[in-house]
Amino acid sequence: MSFVKQAPVLLVIIPLLSALLVNILGLVNRRYCLPVAILGILGSFAASVVTLIRVIENGAISYRLGGWPPPFGIEYVIDHLNGLVLVTVSFVSLLAVIFSKESVKQEVPEKIPQFYTLFILLVTGLLGMTVTGDAFNLYVLLEISALTGYALIAMGDNRALVASFNYVILGTIGASFYLLGVGHLYIMTGSLNMADLLTILPGLYSLNAVFIALLLILVGIWIKMAFFPLHGWLPNAYTYAPSAAGCLVAPLVTKVSVYIMIRIMLSVFSPLYVYSIIGLSETIVWMSVIAIISGSILALAQTDFKKMLTYLIVAEVGYMVGGAWLASAAGLTGAILHIVNDALMTLCLFLFAGIVIYKKGGHQLQDLAGLYKKMPVTMAAFTVGALSMIGVPPTAGFFSKWYLILGAIDAGKYHFMAALLVSSLINAILFFKVIEIAYFEPKVDHHGGETEKVIIDEAPLTMLVPLIIVALSLIVIGLYSGDIITNIIQHSVPAGLL
Amino acid sequence: MIWQLDLSILTLIVICAFATIMVKDLLSAAIIFGAYSFLMCLLWTEMGAVDVAFTEASVGAGVSTVLFFAAVHQTTRRVRTRKSGRMLAKVFALMAALLTGLVLIIAETDFPGFASPFTPASLHLSPYYITQSLHDTNVPNIVTSVLADYRGFDTMFETAVIFTAGLAVIAILRRYKRDDRCDLPEPYVISEGYPDTIIRFIARQLAPFIQLFALYVVAHGHHSPGGGFQGGVILGASFILLAISYDSRMIIGIMSERLNILLGNIGVLIYAGIGFLCLLLGANFLDYSVLSKVLPATDKIMARSHGMLGIEIGVAIAVMAIVISIYLNIISHGKYDKG
Repeated sequence: MSFVKQAPVLLVIIPLLSALLVNILGLVNRRYCLPVAILGILGSFAASVVTLIRVIENGAISYRLGGWPPPFGIEYVIDHLNGLVLVTVSFVSLLAVIFSKESVKQEVPEKIPQFYTLFILLVTGLLGMTVTGDAFNLYVLLEISALTGYALIAMGDNRALVASFNYVILGTIGASFYLLGVGHLYIMTGSLNMADLLTILPGLYSLNAVFIALLLILVGIWIKMAFFPLHGWLPNAYTYAPSAAGCLVAPLVTKVSVYIMIRIMLSVFSPLYVYSIIGLSETIVWMSVIAIISGSILALAQTDFKKMLTYLIVAEVGYMVGGAWLASAAGLTGAILHIVNDALMTLCLFLFAGIVIYKKGGHQLQDLAGLYKKMPVTMAAFTVGALSMIGVPPTAGFFSKWYLILGAIDAGKYHFMAALLVSSLINAILFFKVIEIAYFEPKVDHHGGETEKVIIDEAPLTMLVPLIIVALSLIVIGLYSGDIITNIIQHSVPAGLL
Repeated sequence: MIWQLDLSILTLIVICAFATIMVKDLLSAAIIFGAYSFLMCLLWTEMGAVDVAFTEASVGAGVSTVLFFAAVHQTTRRVRTRKSGRMLAKVFALMAALLTGLVLIIAETDFPGFASPFTPASLHLSPYYITQSLHDTNVPNIVTSVLADYRGFDTMFETAVIFTAGLAVIAILRRYKRDDRCDLPEPYVISEGYPDTIIRFIARQLAPFIQLFALYVVAHGHHSPGGGFQGGVILGASFILLAISYDSRMIIGIMSERLNILLGNIGVLIYAGIGFLCLLLGANFLDYSVLSKVLPATDKIMARSHGMLGIEIGVAIAVMAIVISIYLNIISHGKYDKG
C-alpha cells in the first residue's frame, strides 16, 4: 500500500477509524481520547496535503472505491477545487481539536469520549462530502455531518437543546430536498456519478424535470448553508453550542455547503446551463444582496458577541453564493478564495469567543471589557481576524472581497458591489465597537481609587496557540493569495467564463 | 404491476400521513405511523423491491414505532395545543408546501412512464448489474451485491450513520449523576398490574426463535432478501421485547452499557477494518477480491462474496447494539437503570 496513492481514501478513513478508536479507548481511560483525535485529524491533514500536491503536479485524480469502474461503483474525484477545500477543512479541524482540550473539560466534562467521537465523525463527514464524485455518496456523508452536528450542538446548555431541535427539523428538510433532487436526476438519467451526469444531462437540458432537480438541490443546500431567508436555524444553534463544537461547526459546515453548490453547478450541471440556459443568475444575485445586507444589519442589532458572529456568517454566505452566481471568472475565483478565507476568519473569531467564554463564562459584548490589557496576545489575534472580516489589506479577507468586487463589475451587477461595500462598512462599525469596548472601557471601579495594576491573564497555551496560528495564516494567505489563485483556483474556474 | 392495488395503497398512505399529523394523542400517532410504514412496505413489495420492503418493515414499522412508544412513555401522551396567533406562519407553511407540491407535479410530467421497462434508470446501469453481478461476485441477490460491493462504501457510511445516531442519543440523553434533577414530566404509566406472567413466558419462549430468524436473515442475505441491517434490527428487537416484558435491568444484566458501546464500535470496525485490510493487501479500499490472498481456497470472485458476508456481520452487530442502546437510553431517561 502506498500512502500517496491511497491518500484520497485515507483522508476519510483515518478519521473514521480514529473516531471508533476514541470511543473504545474512552471506555478504558478518557485521557487517551484527545491524543488519538489529534493524531487522526493530523493524518487526514497530511493525506489532504499530499493529495493537493499531487493534483497541482499532475492534474485531477480519480479513485475507484472497491476497485469498480466509475459509473458502476463509487468514485472519488479530487481536482484543484476540492483539493483546496480538503486542505482547508482538515487544517481548520486540526486547530479546532487542539483548542478543544480545556474547553471540553470545562463545558462537557462527563461526555468527553462521545464528544470527540462525534467531533471526528463530523470532520469525516465534511471531508467525505468534499472528496466524493458521486451525488448519492455525498448525501450519505451529508447525513453523517448533519447528525453529528445536531448532537454536538445539543451538548451545550438547555437553550442549545431547543436550538438543536430546530436545526434537526430544518436540516432534515434541507437534506430531503437534496435527496429529492438527486432522485429526480436518477429518474431522468439512471446515473448517480457526477461525471457521468455531466455527459448525459446536456441532451435533457430542455426538460422541466432537470431544471426542477437543480432547483430542489439548490434549495436543499441553501437550507444547509443558511442562505437568507433560510437561515432561521443558524444563529441560536451556533450561539448556544459548546464552544469547542462551535469552533468546528461554524467555520466549516456552511463553507462545505457552498463548495457543494459550486460543485453541483460546475460538475453535474455545466456553466452553460446554470449561467445561460436557465437565467437564474439575476434572481440569485439579488437574493444574495438581500442576504448580505440583512445579515449585516441583524449582526449590528446584537448585544451578544457570539450571536453577532453568527449573523455575520449569514452575511458571508451571501458573499459566496452571489460570487458563484455572478457568471464571471473573477466572481467565481473570489467565491472559491472566500471559502478558504472565511473558514479561517470564522475560526479565528470563534476561537476568540471560546477563549472569552472559558475565561469570563459569558459571551455578551460587555464581557469583553478591558481585555486588551488582560490578554494582549489574544486580542492581537482577534484584531487580525476582525481586520480580515472588514477587508483590510494585507489580511486574507481583502483579497477575496477584491475579486468579488471585480467580478461584480465584470458582470455589471453593481448592486452586488454596493452590498459588499455596505457590508464592509457595517463590519467596520461592528468590530470597532467591539475593539472600543475591549480597549477603552476599563472595568467600573466602585471604590474610586487608583486603577489597580492589571495582571496579564492569558488563556492556556492549547487555546492560545491555535488562535495565533490561524491569525498568522490569515496574513500569510493574504500575502500569497496571488500564488493560490494562479496555481490552484484558476484551474477550477471553467475556461468559458470571462 | 396492478395499478388498482397501487392506487388503493397510495390512498391509504396519504390518509395515514394526514392522520398522523392531525391526531392529538401521540400514542395513536405512533401507531398510525407504524401502519403508514407497513403500507409503504406493501407498496415496495408490490413494486418488486423486496429488500427495501424488508428494511421498511423491520426498521420503519418495527423498531422506530417501539422507540416512539418509549419516548411517549417517558414524556407525555397529549399534544399541547397553542391557541394564540401563529396563523401567519401556518398560512406561510401551507403556501410553501403547496408550491413544492406544484413544482413536483410539473417535474412529474417529464418522467418516463411508471414501471416502463425503458426508463433511463433501468437502461443505463441496471443491465450491467443484472448480467454481471453473479459473474463478478458470485452473489445471486443483486441487491446485496450492489449494496455491499458495488456501492459498499455508501453502506459503510450508512452503518456509521446508525452508529452516530446511537452515539448522539447517548451524548444528549445519558445522565451520569444519579441525583440529577429531572425536568421532564412524570412517566406516563400504562397500567399497574403490568408484570404479567403470561406475557413474560411468551416473550421468553419467543426470543430465541426471533434471534435464530435474525441470524438466518443475516446469513442468507446473499441468496434472498435480507442482510445485515434487517438482521441486526431483528436481533435488537428480540432484546427489546425482553426489556419490555420484564424490566430494562434484566437486559442491562446481559448487555451492559459498556458491552453495548463496544459492540457498536466493533461492528463498524469490522466493516471499515475489512476495507482497510484490502488497502493493506495492496488493492483499493473495500476491493474484496484481494482478500483471496489471505482466505484459504478462495478465488477472487468468491473472496468478494466472503468479504460481503463479513461486512454484513459487522453491520448486524453494530445495528443490534445501537438499537438496544437507543431504546435503553430513552426508556430510562438516560439514567440506564430502570424502566
